[in-house]
Amino acid sequence: MTGDLRDFESELRHALSKLERHTRFAEVLADRSGGEHLTLDSRSTTPAREPRMQGAVFRAWGNGRWVEAATSALDGPSVTAAAEALTQTLDGGGTNGGPPGVSATGTHEWVDRPTHPISTLGSAEAIALARDVLGWAKQVPGVVECQVTLGYTSEERFYLNSAGARTYHRLDRVRGGAIPLASENGKTEFDFLGEGGVGGRERLEFLTEQRVLEAARNAVALLHAATPPSGEMEVLLDPSTSGTFAHESFGHGTEADQFLRDRSYLKPLLGATVGPSFLTIADDGAYPGGWGTIFSDDEGHPCQKTLLVSHGKFVGALHDRETAAAFHSSATGNTRRADFLSRAFVRMTNTYVEPGDWTFEELVHETKRGVLLERATSGIEDPQGGQMQLKVKKGRLIENGELGELVTSMALSGKVLDVLKAIRGVSRKSDFTIEPGYCGKGQSDLLPAGTGGTFLLSTAVVGPA
Amino acid sequence: MSPSPETADAAFRLADRIRSEQPWEVFAERIHRYEVHWNGLRIEMVRGPIVLEGYAVRVFRCRNDKTGVGFQASTDVSEEGLRTATEDAEGLTRYSEFPAKKVDLPATAPPSTPTVEIRDPRLWERPAESLGEYVETLFGAFDGKHGVVPSFGSVRATLSESSLANSFGLRTAHAGTSIDFEVAVKAFGGPEGPPPGEYWVNETTRRLEPERLPDQVEQWCRYAQDVRQASPPPTGDLPVVLPASVSSGILPLVIGFQFTGSARLRKIAPEIGRTVGIAGLSLHDDGRVPWAASSFPLDDEGTPSRRRTLIANGVVSELMYDALHAGAFDLPPTGNAVRGMEFGFRDWRRFLHRPVGTATTVVVDPGSGGSDAELIETAGDGVWVQQLGWAIPDPISTAFGGELRIGYRIRNGKLAESVRGGTVGGVVLAPPGAPSMLASVAAIGSTPTLTDGVQMPTLLVRSLTVAGSGR
Repeated sequence: MTGDLRDFESELRHALSKLERHTRFAEVLADRSGGEHLTLDSRSTTPAREPRMQGAVFRAWGNGRWVEAATSALDGPSVTAAAEALTQTLDGGGTNGGPPGVSATGTHEWVDRPTHPISTLGSAEAIALARDVLGWAKQVPGVVECQVTLGYTSEERFYLNSAGARTYHRLDRVRGGAIPLASENGKTEFDFLGEGGVGGRERLEFLTEQRVLEAARNAVALLHAATPPSGEMEVLLDPSTSGTFAHESFGHGTEADQFLRDRSYLKPLLGATVGPSFLTIADDGAYPGGWGTIFSDDEGHPCQKTLLVSHGKFVGALHDRETAAAFHSSATGNTRRADFLSRAFVRMTNTYVEPGDWTFEELVHETKRGVLLERATSGIEDPQGGQMQLKVKKGRLIENGELGELVTSMALSGKVLDVLKAIRGVSRKSDFTIEPGYCGKGQSDLLPAGTGGTFLLSTAVVGPA
Repeated sequence: MSPSPETADAAFRLADRIRSEQPWEVFAERIHRYEVHWNGLRIEMVRGPIVLEGYAVRVFRCRNDKTGVGFQASTDVSEEGLRTATEDAEGLTRYSEFPAKKVDLPATAPPSTPTVEIRDPRLWERPAESLGEYVETLFGAFDGKHGVVPSFGSVRATLSESSLANSFGLRTAHAGTSIDFEVAVKAFGGPEGPPPGEYWVNETTRRLEPERLPDQVEQWCRYAQDVRQASPPPTGDLPVVLPASVSSGILPLVIGFQFTGSARLRKIAPEIGRTVGIAGLSLHDDGRVPWAASSFPLDDEGTPSRRRTLIANGVVSELMYDALHAGAFDLPPTGNAVRGMEFGFRDWRRFLHRPVGTATTVVVDPGSGGSDAELIETAGDGVWVQQLGWAIPDPISTAFGGELRIGYRIRNGKLAESVRGGTVGGVVLAPPGAPSMLASVAAIGSTPTLTDGVQMPTLLVRSLTVAGSGR
């Protein structure tokens, strides 16, 4: 796997030309990934290289639907065989009109070139950094272990279609984290610290002694934390949780293929006021350094910032070519495949709540009886029913405007529209972060998606997790 | 598609080309994948063949009572690709350090290893046609139904030939099928009726069973209709009934981490002999359950799969080890080395992942609780959980909780109105004296069901925390 994917252009074009005789539209996406990863704790050191994956997927329109074939070999005979297999699936119906929507025609190349590429961090230096992190965590009495992870994935994608589009991007997604474990009398607890984004070695600068010590002390404190309260109450979401809220509550419901399936509770609300005037939610695949940044999507469309909620009004959705045509809109650069083996869907990139003008202290002061939810761990969407579920690792009780006792993991649930309408404040830009995560669509197709925000105060149902 | 000699033994051919002074293994897969996706009752995409050939090389370097492990997966099957992958794996052993004095991999596959049913023969021979017929049967099952439709879904079939070879002399291969199926069933209609309701089905199996679809669709439609009428559950600690399909989202993740050599190494595993459940609870790991998604004749390191008792009458009796962790404790591996299972997600591309010791199929012995109706009667007042949004437990603290997607209130020993929203949760395992799900099992049903990662009966748990805004 040497050179770059553009070296295979003639083989890919040749295979695409075979398909063009059987269909009004065809495209090919070549994809390659690799990278390095380190996991270290006090008992083991496990450096690894990411799987070296490469391949190409062909998509063509025939008989009123998409058909696809893929291969993990990029040599001429293999890609031609994949294209020829697809001509059989087209079954003679491929010339009956073209696919809905507008085909990308642009030619673009994006190559992210950080000042200090992560690939220059060799195994020895990565192990030294991880050992520092481990050492910092184990300074804290009660911490019995700390798992440190450092790594990056290199992503390269090259897209061609029969309408003339040609796009290429290459980037590194860098991620680090620490999970200090505390144990006492047979009970084990942990806290975690993790960040990531597109870029270079600067992405790991958050792993400081101060932040690792804080996470380690939190792990010990969680051994004696109280059980969280249950029922409906005021909820103050930390930036990681408000980002996950944006992603699960509004992001999935605005993927316009859900509109096409008549499966989004939001579809009839386009243009309606759904939240307070200070609430803005956006998705941006070109966000500089964002974990979910991709520059161009897998239909050849450049990425852009798309407003979903603007000043409380539901104004936009995420579109591929097909949904854009159905809803008289334009593709938003959100068509993504997990890799060349997976189908394309409308997907989020970096989805976030834009900052407001409250301070964290003011939001706490505003809360009469509620809970601060910290360290989002997962979320799940319900585009049809308009419900959501967010899980967090820990939190703090809030009584009469004062932060109180530490509590263990919680789940937040409720109707998205009720939670949106109950939002009373969003904190300032200085609290803003975009956090790394992986998002599935249905049961699989996990891909990197950034979630961002600041502190956000609302009302919801809290329960065990 | 039929297995051909040159594809079924990909690892053997790679093994012949590996030049390494260190112990090594190579695991290879050749995969053909076919998919059908639908939107309503319209097929929106047909995929396949998706052809994937890949392998992973693992190299071990034993030094100073420790072992360095290098792992590299690749889809580059060229001479140069294999050489680079092997060199990279060897290179990583220099920095890797694991507390095992040595690693013993199986040298031969036992000649008496019985086969396990994991390959759907019709799907293997005619994949595209089989999927097409399956989807046709699915759509047909909705014929004549008013106010219910499949809003979207897919069926994805993976036909995989796996082969494994190592420097100790092992050469083994097998073939299997797996099917990922999902469908969202939507109930709607009525000018003044409640908003649409949806029931989402998501399962992994080994074979297509179109003959079951009519009954299944009937059931899914009923759940989707009940979602429309559902009210929020109450808040409180209540008796909760969990069918196997719900337990499958909770138990494998906890058991698959806590009962392993990896957890023991980190001093998290429960000690052998500790009581963690009620006296009538016996739980096993079984890698040979016919048609189970994680069943294989041999595990992913070549150790024969078998049934192991992890909890006998509430007491911890055994842990699970892959070869590496077995080496750390000077024990034999238990046939639990699994590739491609992480955080509850099963990756159909197993070669991309190094093997880890985890659960295959979690089996719970049937109890004397009787039928589901009898368990409901025993519960008296509580909640039947039909589906949790995502219970995904924290494998360390074993706390779990998920949104109640659809359930039923139990009143006076009978199922009453449907409930939805809020959360249900608890802790699977707890230190002695603290409340936990396994220690609070009030009754175990008499009929086991195989679903995803479990083969077990319905459980009645005396008390789990339910949080909602209803009564």
